[in-house]
Amino acid sequence: MREGLIRFATMTGAVAQAALWLAGTGLVLMTVFVFAQVFYRYAIGSSLFWAEPAAVMLMGWFIFLGAAVGVKEGYHLSFDVGLMVVPESWRPWFHSFSDVVVTGFGFGMAWFGWQLAARASTGVVPGLGISRLWDFAPLIGGGVLLMLFSVERILRRAAGLRTMRFGDNDDAIDGEIDGLAGAGSAAALMAADPRTTDPHATDPRADRTTTAAPRARKGD
Amino acid sequence: MELWILFGSFVALLLIGTPVAFCLGVASFLTVLYLGLPPVVVFQRLNSGISVFALMAIPFFIFAGDLMVRGDIARRLVALAGAMIGHVRGGLGQVNIVASLMFGGVSGSAAADASAVGGLMVPQMKERGYDVDYAVNITVVSSIIALMVPPSHNMIIYSIAAGGRLSIADLFTAGIIPGLLLAFMLMIAAWWVARKKGYPTEPFPGLRMLGTLAVAALPGLILIAIIFGGVRSGWFTASESSNVAVVYALLVTTLVYRSLPWSEFVEATKGAVRTTAMVLLVIGTAACFGWLLAYLRVPTQLVEILQNVSDNPIVILLLMNIILLILGTFMDMSPLIVITTPIFLPVAVAFGVDPVHFGVILILNLGIGLCTPPVGAVLFVGCAVGRISIWQAMRTIWPFYGAAFATLMLVTYVPALSLWLPSMFR
Amino acid sequence: AACEITLRSSDTHPDGYPTVEGVKAMAEEVLERTDGRICIEVFPSSQLGEERDTIEQTQFGVIDLVRASFGTFNDIVPVTQTFSLPYLFRNVDHMHAVMDGPIGEEIGAAFEERDLVVLAYYDGGARSFYNSQRPINSIEDLAGLKIRVIQNDVFVDMMDALGAVATPMPYGEVYSGIQTGVIDGAENNYPSYDSSGHAEVAPYFTLDEHLMVPELVAMSKTSWDALSPEDQEVVRDSARNSSTTQRQLWAEAEAASEEAVIAAGAEIVREIDKQPFIDAMAPVYEKYATSPEAQDLVERIRATE
Ligand code: NA
Ligand code: NA
Repeated sequence: MREGLIRFATMTGAVAQAALWLAGTGLVLMTVFVFAQVFYRYAIGSSLFWAEPAAVMLMGWFIFLGAAVGVKEGYHLSFDVGLMVVPESWRPWFHSFSDVVVTGFGFGMAWFGWQLAARASTGVVPGLGISRLWDFAPLIGGGVLLMLFSVERILRRAAGLRTMRFGDNDDAIDGEIDGLAGAGSAAALMAADPRTTDPHATDPRADRTTTAAPRARKGD
Repeated sequence: MELWILFGSFVALLLIGTPVAFCLGVASFLTVLYLGLPPVVVFQRLNSGISVFALMAIPFFIFAGDLMVRGDIARRLVALAGAMIGHVRGGLGQVNIVASLMFGGVSGSAAADASAVGGLMVPQMKERGYDVDYAVNITVVSSIIALMVPPSHNMIIYSIAAGGRLSIADLFTAGIIPGLLLAFMLMIAAWWVARKKGYPTEPFPGLRMLGTLAVAALPGLILIAIIFGGVRSGWFTASESSNVAVVYALLVTTLVYRSLPWSEFVEATKGAVRTTAMVLLVIGTAACFGWLLAYLRVPTQLVEILQNVSDNPIVILLLMNIILLILGTFMDMSPLIVITTPIFLPVAVAFGVDPVHFGVILILNLGIGLCTPPVGAVLFVGCAVGRISIWQAMRTIWPFYGAAFATLMLVTYVPALSLWLPSMFR
Repeated sequence: AACEITLRSSDTHPDGYPTVEGVKAMAEEVLERTDGRICIEVFPSSQLGEERDTIEQTQFGVIDLVRASFGTFNDIVPVTQTFSLPYLFRNVDHMHAVMDGPIGEEIGAAFEERDLVVLAYYDGGARSFYNSQRPINSIEDLAGLKIRVIQNDVFVDMMDALGAVATPMPYGEVYSGIQTGVIDGAENNYPSYDSSGHAEVAPYFTLDEHLMVPELVAMSKTSWDALSPEDQEVVRDSARNSSTTQRQLWAEAEAASEEAVIAAGAEIVREIDKQPFIDAMAPVYEKYATSPEAQDLVERIRATE
């Protein structure tokens, strides 16, 4: 089971990297589109009508893709107080329950996103001329990825592989340990207080601002 | 009963460690099921909640901030602040505050400020014999300034939550004086603590050096002028200014400083995607939660309760500030803006408070919440940068909380601090 | 008696706005005629979402009633596209005559296929141009002005045909946009021109009434079917009556706003020759009224007295 799971994790790791690259490309394209709109208004004196709706649609894609990858890499903001007061042996169960909840929500995104898309599909996105189905496509795509990644987390935990979450203060954000290292008791790893372990000791890049920065903006 | 399910499941999920975004979404989902409504509405709200053009300012300002940290703009601003203010009592502490003011002028994110300025300042302060908790405390609380001085994407979130009819340019302008006031109050606190502890001052490097550092930091300073001047003079709209900040930061770091290799650009992009996805997913699921609050008429009921408590605007504003401060200790800023604006703004307006003024109060109040445990993103960043525990920071942070709270009270009860400057531009 | 049935109604406008007050009038009549059995709760100020969202919610039966503009239905009920054509109605009375007649009935039937039951047509007034540069007395005066429009292909093409530069922009940025010169003006009705404060920065208002897009109150098919035939009768009746109230409130609101903007320094151009504007719309009609049915509908609307 472990072998198969590691192969599965390697696959989902590749999917997550692809999703992250796609999302990054979306962000860059969005930057280009909106700048083109500003530039066009000055240089040509008219508006690019597709720029705004196209940028909004790209934003939908990169939010839901990025959010799904966030589940895999565990960078969503969560709350630790409740976990600190229960016996250590409970924590993996809590985490798995959380992952089940996330899987369910991902299913809802895909299923009900599909219903919304079906109803809206006859309409057209203003300025783009494509079916309004595309308005809901990111919701469906993101939902499917969410299910995939949170199911993986449940399986990994069951098999004793490491799973990441907010506050673990490790380099999971770069997706480096996916499916490879990191074996060991998930509970023990998660019990470690992020503030008492030195995150930089194991981080080859040991650059304070680069490790702090991505975690940093959780919040505002 | 519906409200018990909504809030109960939210808190229960929060306690077992479910990510906040999903706590909001799943609590809404369960409540919708209980009410017998078609669950499709939850996902419609999620999708609509993030498909808003003005929200684009968030990825752009975050992206611009990442580029500035990785491309040397932030470091040069901090160096300039050091030359300007380092010779005042509490030297590097004062520098930390002024650097936050400058970096805040180009970034709208308190956490970005804490990691950028803190990452540069805290090690230096340690080296020069300052206590680490002093360095962390200043880093954490002064980063609220970034939320107040323009640009601030949280002001944009507020404007959207308020129905999208408030002028973002006015909100930006309204934050300037409160931001400066906060900086001033924190400098007094920093000075007071430094005097008690006998911290050193830095030598003044001389006008020539100051000039050199100012020239080196000029592109960063120009960005402040471009963002504010551009919005106020109509080159671009407030949400477009975030895009201009990205393009400008790219141009400066690649062409002028030549400090941004491709690999760093990729990292900045990935970092921005991760952060934005996380923040905006919370905004999306908070939109589901907010929809249910409206559907269950929570705001209306709250107005009635508050009106029964008092009809004095001073008391009402104090009550609202206290409620927001409490909520802010448990939750993060953007979901709280989206959830509380539709509830509190009508109350505030009913008691004669200007919506722009209320926005400034709200942002400052929730900004303080970012620095308080148990949930305080900026506090986490500050402690991570200084490698100290939250409890260590808590022991000595009080003078700085005090300064921030005093500023909040002044901003709340002196509307002119927020409203005078925007009125000058009309 | 306590409410046995509670119907929730959404509006994007704030409390006190004529459309909101119209539905409240309907609610009052329904409450009275059912001896308090059927209550209608109005949620103003986009509390439950923007128009498109609340329409979808009504279709899915999440909420029961929605007040929205025909403009938002263009994708959902294609026949409504015709009503977004510029200079379709001669004046407000013409619009009322059309909507209260057989054409209104026919449009209502088209909504039914989309799980919506039309209860009443409201008045959304007429949209006209305003700008910060100059009074617009003729089509030439519009040339080159950057006018903010809603992100909608018809409006963009209309501005093109009039020689102006269509500039889509979120509503909240229009004030500072005009003030700082990103755009020269926008277009809207009197009450919005007044409440948005745009009159302060764009004082030249030309009453060209290029768009009169009807508004409607629709009920979810699911909620409608759940009512007894007698209750349906009461609801429909009260809705119809409320449209009279709403139109009257609208006229009053318009008059009050007109007074207010003039007091604020707006300069109103009332007498303009609309014919050149109407003639300029030929390409827009050609592009959007393509099907024989649409062309026939335009003919019949124009023929309505
Ligand atoms: Na800022
Ligand atoms: Na907090």
